[in-house]
Amino acid sequence: MVNGYKPTTLQEAVEIKGRTDAIPYAGGTDLMVKNIPDAVYLFLNDIDELKQITQDDEYIHIGAAVTFTQALADDLVPPLMKEAISRIAAPAIRNAGTFGGNLGNASDKADSVLAGFALDARVRLVSVSGERNIPFDDFCVRRGVTNIGDDELIAEILLPKEKCALPYYYKKIGGRSALAISRVAFAGAYEVRDGVIQAISATVIGEGKFTRYREVEATLIGKKVDEVRANADEYAERFIEKMTFIRGRVSTEYRKVVVTNLFKDYLASLE
Amino acid sequence: MNGIRFRLNGKDTCYEGSAADRLLDVLRDEYDMKSVKCGCKEGECGACAVLIDGVLINSCCVAMGAVDSHEILTVEGYRETARFEALSKAFADLSAVQCGFCIPGMILAAEALLSKNAHPTEQEVRTALSGNICRCTGYNAIVNAVMNAAKEGDGLW
Repeated sequence: MVNGYKPTTLQEAVEIKGRTDAIPYAGGTDLMVKNIPDAVYLFLNDIDELKQITQDDEYIHIGAAVTFTQALADDLVPPLMKEAISRIAAPAIRNAGTFGGNLGNASDKADSVLAGFALDARVRLVSVSGERNIPFDDFCVRRGVTNIGDDELIAEILLPKEKCALPYYYKKIGGRSALAISRVAFAGAYEVRDGVIQAISATVIGEGKFTRYREVEATLIGKKVDEVRANADEYAERFIEKMTFIRGRVSTEYRKVVVTNLFKDYLASLE
Repeated sequence: MNGIRFRLNGKDTCYEGSAADRLLDVLRDEYDMKSVKCGCKEGECGACAVLIDGVLINSCCVAMGAVDSHEILTVEGYRETARFEALSKAFADLSAVQCGFCIPGMILAAEALLSKNAHPTEQEVRTALSGNICRCTGYNAIVNAVMNAAKEGDGLW
Protein backbone atom coordinates (compact mmCIF):
# COMPACT_ATOMS: atom_id res chain seq x y z
CA MET A 1 0.00 0.00 0.00
CA VAL A 2 1.45 3.39 -1.01
CA ASN A 3 1.57 5.98 1.80
CA GLY A 4 -0.06 3.69 4.30
CA TYR A 5 0.25 0.68 6.56
CA LYS A 6 -2.62 -1.62 7.25
CA PRO A 7 -1.79 -4.06 10.03
CA THR A 8 -4.29 -6.68 11.12
CA THR A 9 -3.07 -7.10 14.70
CA LEU A 10 -2.35 -4.60 17.46
CA GLN A 11 1.14 -6.05 17.89
CA GLU A 12 1.92 -5.35 14.26
CA ALA A 13 0.45 -1.83 14.55
CA VAL A 14 2.56 -1.04 17.60
CA GLU A 15 5.71 -2.20 15.82
CA ILE A 16 4.95 0.07 12.86
CA LYS A 17 4.26 2.97 15.24
CA GLY A 18 7.60 2.32 16.89
CA ARG A 19 9.63 2.61 13.71
CA THR A 20 7.71 5.14 11.56
CA ASP A 21 5.96 8.51 11.86
CA ALA A 22 2.76 7.15 10.32
CA ILE A 23 -0.34 8.90 11.64
CA PRO A 24 -2.83 6.63 13.44
CA TYR A 25 -6.09 6.50 11.49
CA ALA A 26 -9.22 4.92 12.94
CA GLY A 27 -12.43 6.55 11.65
CA GLY A 28 -10.93 9.36 9.58
CA THR A 29 -13.68 11.85 10.41
CA ASP A 30 -11.36 14.42 11.98
CA LEU A 31 -8.15 13.44 10.26
CA MET A 32 -9.49 13.81 6.72
CA VAL A 33 -10.85 17.26 7.51
CA LYS A 34 -7.34 18.34 8.54
CA ASN A 35 -6.18 17.22 5.11
CA ILE A 36 -2.54 16.80 6.14
CA PRO A 37 -0.30 17.12 3.06
CA ASP A 38 1.77 14.03 2.14
CA ALA A 39 0.23 12.10 5.00
CA VAL A 40 1.23 8.50 5.65
CA TYR A 41 -1.43 6.71 7.65
CA LEU A 42 -1.36 3.77 10.00
CA PHE A 43 -4.81 2.29 9.39
CA LEU A 44 -6.29 0.83 12.57
CA ASN A 45 -9.83 0.36 11.30
CA ASP A 46 -9.55 -3.37 10.58
CA ILE A 47 -7.82 -4.52 13.76
CA ASP A 48 -10.31 -6.76 15.59
CA GLU A 49 -8.61 -6.31 18.98
CA LEU A 50 -9.35 -2.59 18.82
CA LYS A 51 -13.02 -3.08 17.95
CA GLN A 52 -14.23 -4.94 21.04
CA ILE A 53 -16.41 -3.83 23.92
CA THR A 54 -15.81 -6.10 26.91
CA GLN A 55 -15.93 -6.08 30.70
CA ASP A 56 -14.03 -7.45 33.66
CA ASP A 57 -14.85 -7.13 37.37
CA GLU A 58 -13.89 -3.49 37.54
CA TYR A 59 -14.11 -1.91 34.10
CA ILE A 60 -16.01 -1.65 30.83
CA HIS A 61 -13.36 -1.75 28.10
CA ILE A 62 -14.05 0.10 24.86
CA GLY A 63 -11.53 -0.54 22.08
CA ALA A 64 -9.95 2.49 20.43
CA ALA A 65 -11.47 1.68 17.03
CA VAL A 66 -15.02 1.07 18.31
CA THR A 67 -17.37 3.41 16.47
CA PHE A 68 -20.03 5.47 18.22
CA THR A 69 -22.77 3.58 16.35
CA GLN A 70 -21.33 0.28 17.58
CA ALA A 71 -21.23 1.56 21.17
CA LEU A 72 -24.80 2.89 20.99
CA ALA A 73 -26.01 -0.63 20.22
CA ASP A 74 -24.05 -2.31 23.03
CA ASP A 75 -25.61 -3.01 26.42
CA LEU A 76 -22.28 -2.70 28.24
CA VAL A 77 -21.90 0.99 27.40
CA PRO A 78 -23.31 3.14 30.23
CA PRO A 79 -26.22 5.56 29.65
CA LEU A 80 -24.20 8.73 30.27
CA MET A 81 -21.73 7.75 27.55
CA LYS A 82 -24.57 6.76 25.23
CA GLU A 83 -26.35 10.05 25.72
CA ALA A 84 -23.18 12.00 24.96
CA ILE A 85 -22.23 10.08 21.83
CA SER A 86 -25.80 9.89 20.51
CA ARG A 87 -25.60 13.63 19.91
CA ILE A 88 -22.30 13.62 18.06
CA ALA A 89 -22.77 14.99 14.53
CA ALA A 90 -25.08 12.70 12.50
CA PRO A 91 -25.36 8.98 11.60
CA ALA A 92 -22.66 8.88 8.91
CA ILE A 93 -20.12 10.43 11.29
CA ARG A 94 -21.18 8.23 14.22
CA ASN A 95 -20.78 5.23 11.89
CA ALA A 96 -17.11 6.10 11.38
CA GLY A 97 -15.94 8.15 14.38
CA THR A 98 -14.20 6.24 17.17
CA PHE A 99 -13.42 6.54 20.87
CA GLY A 100 -9.68 6.43 20.26
CA GLY A 101 -9.90 9.19 17.68
CA ASN A 102 -12.13 11.39 19.80
CA LEU A 103 -9.60 11.19 22.64
CA GLY A 104 -6.37 11.21 20.65
CA ASN A 105 -7.46 14.14 18.51
CA ALA A 106 -7.14 16.31 21.65
CA SER A 107 -10.12 18.50 20.84
CA ASP A 108 -11.53 20.36 23.84
CA LYS A 109 -15.02 19.64 22.48
CA ALA A 110 -14.93 15.84 22.30
CA ASP A 111 -18.27 14.59 23.62
CA SER A 112 -17.10 11.06 24.49
CA VAL A 113 -14.13 12.50 26.37
CA LEU A 114 -16.45 14.67 28.44
CA ALA A 115 -18.49 11.63 29.48
CA GLY A 116 -15.24 9.78 30.18
CA PHE A 117 -14.04 12.55 32.48
CA ALA A 118 -17.29 12.44 34.44
CA LEU A 119 -16.92 8.68 34.87
CA ASP A 120 -13.24 8.64 35.96
CA ALA A 121 -12.24 6.99 32.68
CA ARG A 122 -8.74 5.73 32.03
CA VAL A 123 -6.87 5.09 28.80
CA ARG A 124 -4.59 2.17 28.03
CA LEU A 125 -1.65 3.08 25.82
CA VAL A 126 0.57 0.48 24.21
CA SER A 127 4.03 0.61 22.66
CA VAL A 128 6.78 -1.87 21.81
CA SER A 129 8.35 -1.20 25.19
CA GLY A 130 5.22 -1.85 27.24
CA GLU A 131 1.98 -0.19 28.21
CA ARG A 132 0.57 2.53 30.43
CA ASN A 133 -2.85 2.77 32.00
CA ILE A 134 -3.54 6.36 33.04
CA PRO A 135 -6.57 8.52 33.94
CA PHE A 136 -8.02 10.86 31.31
CA ASP A 137 -6.89 13.78 33.53
CA ASP A 138 -3.27 12.79 33.00
CA PHE A 139 -3.70 12.06 29.31
CA CYS A 140 -5.36 15.33 28.25
CA VAL A 141 -2.90 18.19 28.66
CA ARG A 142 -4.65 21.02 26.85
CA ARG A 143 -6.42 21.74 23.57
CA GLY A 144 -4.44 19.98 20.83
CA VAL A 145 -2.00 18.33 23.24
CA THR A 146 -2.02 14.95 24.95
CA ASN A 147 0.85 13.24 26.67
CA ILE A 148 0.87 10.24 24.34
CA GLY A 149 4.40 9.08 23.51
CA ASP A 150 5.69 9.08 19.92
CA ASP A 151 5.77 5.30 19.95
CA GLU A 152 2.41 4.78 21.67
CA LEU A 153 -1.04 3.89 20.37
CA ILE A 154 -4.34 4.20 22.21
CA ALA A 155 -5.57 0.64 22.73
CA GLU A 156 -8.75 1.19 24.69
CA ILE A 157 -10.59 3.34 27.17
CA LEU A 158 -11.70 1.95 30.51
CA LEU A 159 -14.81 3.03 32.38
CA PRO A 160 -15.06 2.03 36.06
CA LYS A 161 -18.26 0.03 36.47
CA GLU A 162 -18.89 1.50 39.88
CA LYS A 163 -19.13 4.98 38.31
CA CYS A 164 -21.10 3.73 35.29
CA ALA A 165 -23.86 2.58 37.65
CA LEU A 166 -24.36 6.01 39.27
CA PRO A 167 -27.14 8.45 38.40
CA TYR A 168 -25.83 11.13 36.06
CA TYR A 169 -26.48 14.50 34.50
CA TYR A 170 -25.72 15.44 30.90
CA LYS A 171 -26.58 18.51 28.82
CA LYS A 172 -25.18 19.60 25.51
CA ILE A 173 -25.65 23.06 24.07
CA GLY A 174 -24.91 23.24 20.34
CA GLY A 175 -25.98 25.48 17.51
CA ARG A 176 -28.61 23.06 16.18
CA SER A 177 -29.97 19.60 16.89
CA ALA A 178 -27.79 17.64 14.45
CA LEU A 179 -24.26 18.24 13.19
CA ALA A 180 -23.60 20.49 16.16
CA ILE A 181 -20.29 20.87 17.93
CA SER A 182 -20.75 21.39 21.67
CA ARG A 183 -20.46 25.07 22.54
CA VAL A 184 -20.97 24.15 26.13
CA ALA A 185 -21.72 20.75 27.58
CA PHE A 186 -21.87 19.49 31.13
CA ALA A 187 -21.56 15.99 32.53
CA GLY A 188 -21.53 14.65 36.04
CA ALA A 189 -22.22 11.46 37.98
CA TYR A 190 -23.21 11.40 41.61
CA GLU A 191 -24.34 9.36 44.55
CA VAL A 192 -26.78 10.67 47.13
CA ARG A 193 -27.68 8.62 50.19
CA ASP A 194 -30.20 9.77 52.80
CA GLY A 195 -30.12 13.24 51.32
CA VAL A 196 -26.33 13.53 51.63
CA ILE A 197 -23.91 13.69 48.69
CA GLN A 198 -21.54 10.71 48.87
CA ALA A 199 -19.75 11.16 45.57
CA ILE A 200 -19.97 13.68 42.76
CA SER A 201 -18.14 14.53 39.56
CA ALA A 202 -18.46 17.67 37.47
CA THR A 203 -16.88 18.36 34.12
CA VAL A 204 -17.56 20.68 31.20
CA ILE A 205 -16.93 21.45 27.59
CA GLY A 206 -16.59 25.20 27.35
CA GLU A 207 -13.57 26.15 29.39
CA GLY A 208 -11.31 25.35 26.44
CA LYS A 209 -9.70 22.31 28.04
CA PHE A 210 -10.82 19.18 29.83
CA THR A 211 -10.36 18.89 33.55
CA ARG A 212 -12.10 17.72 36.70
CA TYR A 213 -12.97 20.31 39.32
CA ARG A 214 -11.92 18.18 42.26
CA GLU A 215 -11.72 20.98 44.83
CA VAL A 216 -15.27 22.02 44.10
CA GLU A 217 -16.39 18.40 44.10
CA ALA A 218 -14.70 17.92 47.48
CA THR A 219 -16.61 20.84 48.97
CA LEU A 220 -19.88 19.18 47.90
CA ILE A 221 -19.17 15.73 49.30
CA GLY A 222 -20.75 15.17 52.70
CA LYS A 223 -23.16 18.09 52.21
CA LYS A 224 -26.91 17.76 52.34
CA VAL A 225 -28.59 18.13 48.95
CA ASP A 226 -31.04 20.67 50.45
CA GLU A 227 -28.18 22.85 51.68
CA VAL A 228 -26.40 22.65 48.33
CA ARG A 229 -29.57 23.61 46.47
CA ALA A 230 -30.25 26.53 48.80
CA ASN A 231 -26.74 27.85 48.20
CA ALA A 232 -26.48 26.97 44.52
CA ASP A 233 -25.42 30.50 43.53
CA GLU A 234 -22.48 30.43 45.87
CA TYR A 235 -21.36 26.98 44.76
CA ALA A 236 -21.69 28.01 41.13
CA GLU A 237 -19.54 31.04 41.78
CA ARG A 238 -16.83 28.87 43.32
CA PHE A 239 -17.07 26.53 40.36
CA ILE A 240 -16.68 29.33 37.82
CA GLU A 241 -13.74 30.79 39.77
CA LYS A 242 -11.78 27.64 39.05
CA MET A 243 -12.05 28.14 35.32
CA THR A 244 -9.68 30.02 33.07
CA PHE A 245 -11.86 30.10 29.93
CA ILE A 246 -9.32 29.79 27.16
CA ARG A 247 -10.18 31.95 24.16
CA GLY A 248 -12.26 30.20 21.53
CA ARG A 249 -14.88 30.69 18.87
CA VAL A 250 -17.65 31.16 21.42
CA SER A 251 -17.38 34.25 23.66
CA THR A 252 -16.17 33.84 27.22
CA GLU A 253 -19.15 35.74 28.60
CA TYR A 254 -21.59 33.36 26.94
CA ARG A 255 -19.72 30.29 28.11
CA LYS A 256 -19.56 31.60 31.70
CA VAL A 257 -23.29 32.20 31.85
CA VAL A 258 -24.16 28.82 30.33
CA VAL A 259 -21.72 26.87 32.51
CA THR A 260 -23.13 28.63 35.59
CA ASN A 261 -26.68 27.79 34.59
CA LEU A 262 -25.85 24.17 33.85
CA PHE A 263 -23.97 23.75 37.12
CA LYS A 264 -26.99 25.07 39.03
CA ASP A 265 -29.28 22.84 36.99
CA TYR A 266 -27.02 19.91 37.89
CA LEU A 267 -27.25 20.70 41.60
CA ALA A 268 -31.03 21.03 41.27
CA SER A 269 -31.21 17.60 39.64
CA LEU A 270 -29.45 15.72 42.46
CA GLU A 271 -31.68 13.22 44.18
CA MET B 1 3.66 -2.71 -2.47
CA ASN B 2 0.24 -4.05 -3.33
CA GLY B 3 -2.67 -2.00 -4.52
CA ILE B 4 -5.80 -1.36 -2.50
CA ARG B 5 -8.35 -4.04 -3.26
CA PHE B 6 -12.03 -3.45 -2.69
CA ARG B 7 -15.39 -4.05 -4.32
CA LEU B 8 -17.06 -1.11 -6.01
CA ASN B 9 -20.69 -1.61 -6.91
CA GLY B 10 -20.16 -5.36 -6.95
CA LYS B 11 -16.97 -5.31 -9.05
CA ASP B 12 -13.53 -6.30 -7.77
CA THR B 13 -11.37 -3.22 -8.00
CA CYS B 14 -7.71 -2.46 -7.33
CA TYR B 15 -6.50 1.08 -6.69
CA GLU B 16 -2.80 1.64 -7.25
CA GLY B 17 -2.67 5.26 -6.00
CA SER B 18 -1.91 6.64 -2.57
CA ALA B 19 -3.59 5.17 0.51
CA ALA B 20 -3.95 8.74 1.77
CA ASP B 21 -6.11 9.78 -1.21
CA ARG B 22 -9.65 10.78 -0.41
CA LEU B 23 -12.29 8.20 -1.32
CA LEU B 24 -14.58 10.99 -2.59
CA ASP B 25 -11.98 12.22 -5.10
CA VAL B 26 -11.03 8.72 -6.21
CA LEU B 27 -14.65 7.70 -6.78
CA ARG B 28 -15.34 10.75 -8.91
CA ASP B 29 -12.06 11.14 -10.78
CA GLU B 30 -10.72 7.61 -11.10
CA TYR B 31 -13.93 5.60 -11.39
CA ASP B 32 -16.27 8.24 -12.80
CA MET B 33 -18.86 7.84 -10.02
CA LYS B 34 -20.33 11.28 -10.46
CA SER B 35 -23.37 10.63 -8.26
CA VAL B 36 -21.00 11.16 -5.33
CA LYS B 37 -21.05 14.92 -4.80
CA CYS B 38 -18.46 17.11 -3.13
CA GLY B 39 -20.23 19.62 -0.90
CA CYS B 40 -17.97 20.47 2.02
CA LYS B 41 -15.07 18.02 2.50
CA GLU B 42 -15.71 18.23 6.23
CA GLY B 43 -18.32 15.55 6.83
CA GLU B 44 -20.94 18.22 7.40
CA CYS B 45 -23.24 17.94 4.42
CA GLY B 46 -23.71 14.27 3.45
CA ALA B 47 -23.63 14.93 -0.30
CA CYS B 48 -20.71 12.49 -0.70
CA ALA B 49 -22.23 9.72 1.41
CA VAL B 50 -21.76 6.15 0.18
CA LEU B 51 -22.44 2.77 1.73
CA ILE B 52 -19.38 0.88 2.97
CA ASP B 53 -20.38 -2.67 3.86
CA GLY B 54 -23.95 -1.36 3.97
CA VAL B 55 -23.11 1.42 6.44
CA LEU B 56 -23.60 5.09 5.55
CA ILE B 57 -20.23 6.91 5.48
CA ASN B 58 -19.19 10.33 4.17
CA SER B 59 -16.63 9.51 1.48
CA CYS B 60 -14.86 12.86 1.99
CA CYS B 61 -13.74 11.63 5.40
CA VAL B 62 -12.29 8.33 4.20
CA ALA B 63 -8.73 7.66 3.06
CA MET B 64 -8.35 4.94 0.44
CA GLY B 65 -6.31 2.68 2.72
CA ALA B 66 -9.32 2.32 4.99
CA VAL B 67 -11.48 0.76 2.27
CA ASP B 68 -9.00 -2.03 1.51
CA SER B 69 -11.01 -5.31 1.62
CA HIS B 70 -14.33 -3.50 1.96
CA GLU B 71 -17.37 -3.12 -0.27
CA ILE B 72 -18.56 0.23 -1.55
CA LEU B 73 -21.96 1.01 -3.00
CA THR B 74 -22.81 4.28 -4.76
CA VAL B 75 -26.04 5.23 -6.53
CA GLU B 76 -24.45 3.99 -9.80
CA GLY B 77 -24.66 0.47 -8.34
CA TYR B 78 -27.78 0.94 -6.27
CA ARG B 79 -29.88 2.26 -9.15
CA GLU B 80 -30.26 -1.22 -10.65
CA THR B 81 -32.30 -2.40 -7.67
CA ALA B 82 -36.04 -2.54 -6.99
CA ARG B 83 -35.42 -0.63 -3.77
CA PHE B 84 -33.98 2.25 -5.73
CA GLU B 85 -37.02 2.16 -8.02
CA ALA B 86 -39.32 2.49 -5.02
CA LEU B 87 -37.35 5.43 -3.63
CA SER B 88 -37.02 7.07 -7.02
CA LYS B 89 -40.78 6.86 -7.65
CA ALA B 90 -41.60 8.22 -4.20
CA PHE B 91 -39.16 11.12 -4.59
CA ALA B 92 -40.67 11.95 -8.02
CA ASP B 93 -44.28 11.62 -6.85
CA LEU B 94 -43.72 14.06 -4.00
CA SER B 95 -41.44 16.47 -5.88
CA ALA B 96 -38.75 15.80 -3.33
CA VAL B 97 -36.01 16.65 -5.80
CA GLN B 98 -35.27 20.23 -6.72
CA CYS B 99 -31.65 20.99 -7.66
CA GLY B 100 -30.77 17.35 -6.98
CA PHE B 101 -27.29 17.87 -5.53
CA CYS B 102 -28.08 16.30 -2.15
CA ILE B 103 -30.26 13.49 -3.53
CA PRO B 104 -27.69 10.69 -4.03
CA GLY B 105 -26.69 11.10 -0.38
CA MET B 106 -30.33 11.25 0.67
CA ILE B 107 -31.13 8.06 -1.26
CA LEU B 108 -28.28 6.14 0.33
CA ALA B 109 -29.14 7.51 3.79
CA ALA B 110 -32.70 6.26 3.19
CA GLU B 111 -31.41 2.84 2.10
CA ALA B 112 -29.16 2.66 5.19
CA LEU B 113 -32.19 3.35 7.37
CA LEU B 114 -34.73 1.11 5.61
CA SER B 115 -32.34 -1.84 5.41
CA LYS B 116 -32.26 -1.83 9.22
CA ASN B 117 -35.73 -0.53 9.93
CA ALA B 118 -38.26 -1.18 7.16
CA HIS B 119 -41.07 0.72 8.90
CA PRO B 120 -39.54 3.82 10.42
CA THR B 121 -41.42 6.57 12.20
CA GLU B 122 -41.17 10.10 10.85
CA GLN B 123 -38.74 10.97 13.65
CA GLU B 124 -36.54 8.01 12.77
CA VAL B 125 -36.46 9.19 9.15
CA ARG B 126 -35.50 12.70 10.25
CA THR B 127 -32.71 11.35 12.43
CA ALA B 128 -31.45 9.09 9.65
CA LEU B 129 -31.31 12.05 7.24
CA SER B 130 -29.97 14.52 9.82
CA GLY B 131 -26.47 14.49 8.35
CA ASN B 132 -27.69 15.26 4.84
CA ILE B 133 -28.18 18.91 4.14
CA CYS B 134 -30.63 20.15 1.49
CA ARG B 135 -30.82 23.83 0.61
CA CYS B 136 -33.86 23.62 -1.66
CA THR B 137 -36.70 21.58 -0.30
CA GLY B 138 -37.01 22.38 3.38
CA TYR B 139 -36.79 18.62 3.98
CA ASN B 140 -40.49 17.82 4.43
CA ALA B 141 -40.95 16.51 0.90
CA ILE B 142 -37.88 14.30 1.26
CA VAL B 143 -39.01 12.93 4.62
CA ASN B 144 -42.47 12.22 3.21
CA ALA B 145 -40.93 10.54 0.17
CA VAL B 146 -38.92 8.16 2.35
CA MET B 147 -42.04 7.39 4.41
CA ASN B 148 -43.95 6.74 1.18
CA ALA B 149 -41.23 4.53 -0.25
CA ALA B 150 -41.31 2.45 2.94
CA LYS B 151 -45.07 2.07 2.58
CA GLU B 152 -45.30 1.53 -1.17
CA GLY B 153 -42.18 -0.62 -1.24
CA ASP B 154 -43.34 -2.79 1.64
CA GLY B 155 -41.54 -6.13 1.47
CA LEU B 156 -38.53 -4.79 -0.43
CA TRP B 157 -36.61 -4.02 2.75
